[in-house]
Amino acid sequence: MNVGEGGALVLVVERDPNVRELESFFLNEAGYSVDFAEDGVAALALARERHPAIIVSEIMVPKLDGLALCRAIKEDPDLADTVVLIFSILAAHGRARDAGADAFLLKPLAEQRLVNTVRELLERRSALASCTAQTKQPAHGR
Amino acid sequence: MTDAFMDESSMADDIVEFPRISTGNPQADSILGGGFPANSINIVMGQPGTGKTIFAEQLLFHNANAERPLLFLTTLSEPMTKVVSYAQRLGFFDVEQVGTRVIYDDLGAELAMNGPRALVPHVVESIKRLSPSIMVIDSFKAIHDLAESTPEMRRIISELAGVVSAYDMTVFLLGEYTQDNIEQYPEFAVADSIVQLERNRLGTRDERYLRVLKLRGSGYREGQHAFRITGSGLKIFPRLVAPAFEAYTPTLERTSTGVEGLDEIIGGGLWRGSTTLLVGPTGAGKSTIALQFMLEGHRHGEGVLFVNFQENPAQVKRMIRGLGTDPERAYATGFYHIYTSPVELQIDSVIDEIFSFIETARVRRVVVDAVGDLAEGASDPQRLHDFLYSLVQHFVVRNVTSILNLESAQGVAGGRDEEQRWSYMSDNVLLMERSAGGDGERTIRVVKTRNSSHDPRPHRMEIRRDGVHVI
Repeated sequence: MNVGEGGALVLVVERDPNVRELESFFLNEAGYSVDFAEDGVAALALARERHPAIIVSEIMVPKLDGLALCRAIKEDPDLADTVVLIFSILAAHGRARDAGADAFLLKPLAEQRLVNTVRELLERRSALASCTAQTKQPAHGR
Repeated sequence: MTDAFMDESSMADDIVEFPRISTGNPQADSILGGGFPANSINIVMGQPGTGKTIFAEQLLFHNANAERPLLFLTTLSEPMTKVVSYAQRLGFFDVEQVGTRVIYDDLGAELAMNGPRALVPHVVESIKRLSPSIMVIDSFKAIHDLAESTPEMRRIISELAGVVSAYDMTVFLLGEYTQDNIEQYPEFAVADSIVQLERNRLGTRDERYLRVLKLRGSGYREGQHAFRITGSGLKIFPRLVAPAFEAYTPTLERTSTGVEGLDEIIGGGLWRGSTTLLVGPTGAGKSTIALQFMLEGHRHGEGVLFVNFQENPAQVKRMIRGLGTDPERAYATGFYHIYTSPVELQIDSVIDEIFSFIETARVRRVVVDAVGDLAEGASDPQRLHDFLYSLVQHFVVRNVTSILNLESAQGVAGGRDEEQRWSYMSDNVLLMERSAGGDGERTIRVVKTRNSSHDPRPHRMEIRRDGVHVI
């Protein structure tokens, strides 16, 4: 399945309006719907309201940093399935993993790399979901 | 991707990797420790006509094979058409790349209408439209000059820095900045590197220098590096620095000067790798001794390099022929000759050329005839001294034996600072004199030798048809 064409919702969390605009633009270009938030608190509220397929968050955002946001998402039973990609200027790969993020990308923004990572993460989530659904179905007779 | 966190090695690469952007000029890359750091903001500053635009365009066309296009934004300094028109005359310009891989764009009209606040939206739109990997803004100072206040410019710089730091792009801001601007203008605070191009008047010609003032997170070669603007871009001569001596093995071999009687008074010949200063007045026979020294090496199969600034190539060939050697044959078999007219003399290019010969042609003997001419061509005597000192040290570690001729009526004992300096960097000093009497008798004496016994008395010297003889 080409997730990009499916228009999955991506929540971009980034404080710099120009960078936010660029991230949104490239993800839109790749076929995703994009919402954005300027800080972690707004992002958490938006996630609860819109249930994005994936959150792409900078660590260094106001009010609730990207790692705290990630932990909050993963601890919330309603949001725990949301894919979180930490996309930061801060080389904090280990901290992102400890916070429960699904992947980490170091800035600067290279659009192809960002779009490919988002696509692969969503494809993986989709494959996992379909696998889980099959295991839950009762076994049919042979 | 099965799990982005499983690939620890690739993540480690992300963090330690320090990619560089080549300038398209190997010498500039070497000065910069490999090139400009990628994803950085760089300032190339210098007065009009110093070569900033050419430097940036050379870099762009060199990198034009990349997947993503490269953007050259003109502002209000020089119109885009003029920049392109001039660039077309340069060897690196490739018309096939223009409009596809190298994009010229003019920001002037937007700046004239909306002021400097037009900059960041234009950059953002350019990124969306082109995804450039390198962006040059020429002139950025022209944008700065449009700002109505320092706070306004600070805000714009901060916005620009935010975008270009977060986006995978390397930026070059060109400008006619002065030294004072570095402390005052906010663009210098966000710059990862600052390269200055200078132009100094020296008599009827200009001397140009490149200097790295800042390169964040990387070592670089400090000091002034001379350059020329040529039809194929900037030709840079990196400042020569003394070599490391760790791997140096001195030899215990004497080399003959090829001058009858001279070897005997300097302890049996010159030590291989030593430097000898040959001091004397005009007509004393310095050039003849130097050529005999060259031809002696050449006879023994050594590569030899004769560097001179007075006698033209035809005259030098006549002198060689006079010493019994066919110059054409010698030139074809390892006798190298660099002649530079003293009018055109730029010490950096001469030193660079000598050094190239040592590196590539493996010469074993070098003569510089005469170092006084180099001093005349140097705007800064200390700089020349540092250069020659470094060159001599390179001779030492490569076991190249050298003679430096110095024209002087007074000799090294006269106390002139300049002569003393030459003397300090030499292992041996030979002083040639001519008597003031009607016979004009020539003498030579050893003033100094290192690690050698010598005969300090003056010895009569004759110039015969086959060269100099020491009696």
